[in-house]
Amino acid sequence: MILHFEKGTANDQVQSVRDRLEGEGIRTLLSTETARPIVGVVDKVPEALQAELRSDRRIEAIHACRGDRRMVERPYREAPMTVKVGKVEIGPGKCVVMAGPCSVEGREIMMEAARLAKDAGAHVLRGGAYKPRTSPYTFQGFGVEGLAQLKEAGEHFDMPVVTEIMDASHLPAFVDHDIDMLQIGARNMQNFTMLKAIAASGIPVLLKRALSGTVDEWLYSAEYLSAFGSPQVVLCERGIRTYEKATRNTLDLTVLPLLREWTHLPIIVDPAHAVGVARYIRPLAAASVAAGADGLIVEAHPRPEEARSDKDQALLPNELAAIVADARVQAAVAGRQFHA
Amino acid sequence: MQPALRHQLAHLDRTLLALLNERARLLAQVDLDDPGRRAMVDDLLRRHDGPFDAGALAPLFEVIDQGCEDRDAVRAAGGAR
Repeated sequence: MILHFEKGTANDQVQSVRDRLEGEGIRTLLSTETARPIVGVVDKVPEALQAELRSDRRIEAIHACRGDRRMVERPYREAPMTVKVGKVEIGPGKCVVMAGPCSVEGREIMMEAARLAKDAGAHVLRGGAYKPRTSPYTFQGFGVEGLAQLKEAGEHFDMPVVTEIMDASHLPAFVDHDIDMLQIGARNMQNFTMLKAIAASGIPVLLKRALSGTVDEWLYSAEYLSAFGSPQVVLCERGIRTYEKATRNTLDLTVLPLLREWTHLPIIVDPAHAVGVARYIRPLAAASVAAGADGLIVEAHPRPEEARSDKDQALLPNELAAIVADARVQAAVAGRQFHA
Repeated sequence: MQPALRHQLAHLDRTLLALLNERARLLAQVDLDDPGRRAMVDDLLRRHDGPFDAGALAPLFEVIDQGCEDRDAVRAAGGAR
């Protein structure tokens, strides 16, 4: 359960309730929410103690939780959360675009791709230095060298950077290169050992949904990150594996309104990995923003035919510009402001 | 007026206003005297085929631009950071 105290309740009064629960062996968590004190109660509360809480006048509301999640549950914060990545804010009322090449392919091409993303109006620069590839014989990424090239391009164009981390042992390199946001790829969504290790860094995380991940499982992974030190989590829907083989995956936009009720975390959409074909991305991107996404992440390349990975879904400069323009319109219609 | 139509009109008006505000925010980031921008509006007007009164469109865009002229105010309201 999650306890909402009356606004203005003194810290010592909140602490006395926590002490009462902890004294019974019931773990509690204090939300960082500033609008009012909010406490997550981790363990089951006996009926008699529940009645005591219900009769406590300092407690305005008691919210039930879905399963064993607390920190990512919607009532754990008064309002939906904003995640700050560099100067870019991802969250309520805003719409952001993350763009860049699938893989970091070299210093010059990275600079070219970053310029492309910046000129089109993207806010965050993406690029893979470590690549999770289905085949061991395909390009695996430049590793640490790629991190350096991505960060250099981001700094040159004044854009924070997001890139995938595939192994906790790589974390020091990501910290050394001041990577602004860590991406947990679909294949590692439930790598709990890695989630815990990465969370300890406190760096904002982009958490992709697993290929066969349910919404529940996805949110439990976000709970792991929050509980172990990285509450700044952005969820990313990227298509799930279904019986349909005509497209690479099936983009599950049904999660957007549902997650608004279930969690306070921002949600962005990666339409490219869902559909896998560049010319199909634009309508899905527009639909995502119209359906309430806090932003988009897409792949763009100055010359997609030369891309070393995912060339079929890499956008041309004019295609990215059109997607950004659509996102601006759809965001305004949906009552959001396109991030400046 | 039927309630449903009134509701649809009100929604369109809110949407128009939201788009005008977004346009103002974007315009605060570009050169107002850019001839290319004016040419794009002229091209849009040439291709317009109604039913909105074509004669009213050019002055309407001028009024919209006038509403964006105070760029400092637009920026202060969150137009450009």
